[in-house]
Amino acid sequence: MEQTLFQKYGGFSKVSRMVLDLYNRLLDDDDIGPFFDDVDMARIVDHQTKFISSLLGGPASYSDDQISRMHQHLEINARHFDILSKILAETLADHGMSPEDVEAVVNSFEDRRKLIVG
Amino acid sequence: MSIEAINEQLLRAIGVGVALLDLNELTFRFHNDTFSEWFGEPDPAARLSDLFAALDVEALRRALTADGRYATETTFKVKRRTMTVAMDFNRALASGEPIAVLVCQNITRIKELESMIDSYSMMVERNTREIKREKEQVEKLLLNMMPRPVYEEYKTFGVVTPRLYDPVSVLTLDFCGFGGMVSTLDPGVIVSELNDIYSAFDRIGEQFGCERIKTIGDAYITVSGMPDPAPEHALSVANAAVRFLRYLNQRNDSHPIQWQCRIGISTGAVIGSVVGVQKYIYDVFGPAVTRALRIRGHTEPMTVCADSAIAELIGSRFSRVSMGMFDLGGGNRHEIFRTEAIADQPKVYGLSS
Repeated sequence: MEQTLFQKYGGFSKVSRMVLDLYNRLLDDDDIGPFFDDVDMARIVDHQTKFISSLLGGPASYSDDQISRMHQHLEINARHFDILSKILAETLADHGMSPEDVEAVVNSFEDRRKLIVG
Repeated sequence: MSIEAINEQLLRAIGVGVALLDLNELTFRFHNDTFSEWFGEPDPAARLSDLFAALDVEALRRALTADGRYATETTFKVKRRTMTVAMDFNRALASGEPIAVLVCQNITRIKELESMIDSYSMMVERNTREIKREKEQVEKLLLNMMPRPVYEEYKTFGVVTPRLYDPVSVLTLDFCGFGGMVSTLDPGVIVSELNDIYSAFDRIGEQFGCERIKTIGDAYITVSGMPDPAPEHALSVANAAVRFLRYLNQRNDSHPIQWQCRIGISTGAVIGSVVGVQKYIYDVFGPAVTRALRIRGHTEPMTVCADSAIAELIGSRFSRVSMGMFDLGGGNRHEIFRTEAIADQPKVYGLSS
């Protein structure tokens, strides 16, 4: 069976660090951060864990419908998406992910752009 | 710099929030920089409850009087980030006045990690449930194709060794006029009828210790005495055979489509094995199977026929009427017998049994 990026980069023990780092960076960002202003901490962490896990082929997967529904009530524009894409790429690279793998993850993130940017 | 001054500097700079409380008034006597960074600069007259509205002051007083210590947590937001601080109160005495030392530790990171582990373990549990469900479906499918011990062998070793089973008894059944039914009836109806009938046969067979091997269209084959030996194998198939007929008779009384079957039973040796690599199927071969098939070919509708070997074994409980000599394979002619359960025969009164 082909190894997923989730397994390649050390499973949950390593990926959990990427998740918390991404969480910190997103909250600190004044463009993306406000989306989480009134959201409970546990829910943001849950969101990030599932987000990273699904991008890396971990134990979470979402159908396009689910993704679309979950972001429907948010006014996310192209600039927000670009910023998140950039922060995601930086975070993954800082945690030792190879440039090709970062590109693959960011591409698969980009594939969902039309589901999220309303 | 004096030791006291160094101590005070350390206390102020340390990453743990520290405060001294007057226990009579619950006001602040001292707090360090970390404390004011997290909770703001308390007024000289500010009380503990002004800073921590949610704090249960009564519980704090009771615990400090009884145990000398009290622990709780407080959660607040700094910008959009949720911070959780663990608060530990310890009673002390300063110049005879009751005071409490409050130590606050930032446990935000621990809380975040706990949340992440919760979230992750929920995902993993859901996945595990899905995998388990899929595994059960595969197992169910394979158990439909082969007996359980054979499946266990296949699961453990990845292969199944062909095995000789001797003696066993074989029952084969087919339906009269099936070709005609296929051309006149809707295929969906045929499949649903066969499914209904075969499921009933499976249940009946199971009651008598028979293991269904396969069905091919209108042909049904079941065996007793394998994979586990059964001393009553011949009676098992004979009993199943007469009950198959009884079931069909009853079913025909209440269903528009009439099914007439012929059953051949025989006994002897068979070899059981998984056949095929990609599309594997469990099958049985051998003289007992061949004979049962040939016997079935010479059987009248809605009757059961047996060769002499199995007729001997089921002896006293089944009657036999010779149907003549037939070639059952190998060029030799054998006598076959129509067989009925004694209990099923019409009773003739006035004759001694």
